[in-house]
Amino acid sequence: MIQLRQAIEALARHEVEFIIVGGVAMNLHGSAHVTFDLDICYDRRRTNLKRIVAALAPYRPRLRGLPENLPSLWDEQALRSGTNFTLTTDIGDIDLLGEVAGVGSYSDAVMASVTVPLYGVECRVLTLDSLIASKRAAGRAKDLLVLPELEALREVAGEGE
Amino acid sequence: MNRSAEEHLLNPPPGSAAARARDFGIDLTLLIQRLRLTPEERLDDLQRVMRDLEEARKSVSPFLRRKR
Repeated sequence: MIQLRQAIEALARHEVEFIIVGGVAMNLHGSAHVTFDLDICYDRRRTNLKRIVAALAPYRPRLRGLPENLPSLWDEQALRSGTNFTLTTDIGDIDLLGEVAGVGSYSDAVMASVTVPLYGVECRVLTLDSLIASKRAAGRAKDLLVLPELEALREVAGEGE
Repeated sequence: MNRSAEEHLLNPPPGSAAARARDFGIDLTLLIQRLRLTPEERLDDLQRVMRDLEEARKSVSPFLRRKR
């Protein structure tokens, strides 16, 4: 189970450039969907990779699903070797996404985000329109199931169509 | 959350996205509750639900194991 406040504060403290996407973003827009992890889209520039490494290092990040005792490399080089990472940490599961389906890279996601005050910091969160686009693009059954709720939320928020 | 948004979710107009969500099985009163909160309160609420579910899972797991 992700410790949301701790995770967000750690990322913000290290000035990580990130956007909250996925289930937590849905919740921030008013969804009643329950999620247990934090999905973020992150800037893949070198300085930001260093910040992510520093922010999460105290929480022993390792790839989810690997045996607990297997040594796991957590450095800038490891982050450069891939785009998306599903991590487990001492404060819960965090998914790092270099790009978001239906939206694009971090710079595209910035344009498709709004800023929300959380725990004393301004956090970027994907807009409802973009969350809907990403769920449609991902297209899995679990993504399509949340569309009616997101579309109802968008309707009352007066966003989009 | 303004009154018209709340009214929209309580009595969704035919053909609206809210009506489609209701017919799909979404409890729109839950959305009203959540929209009354600030974003930070929504996260705190989500965290509480996660914690409650985790505790419930731990308390029932010995019984579920016995049943297998």
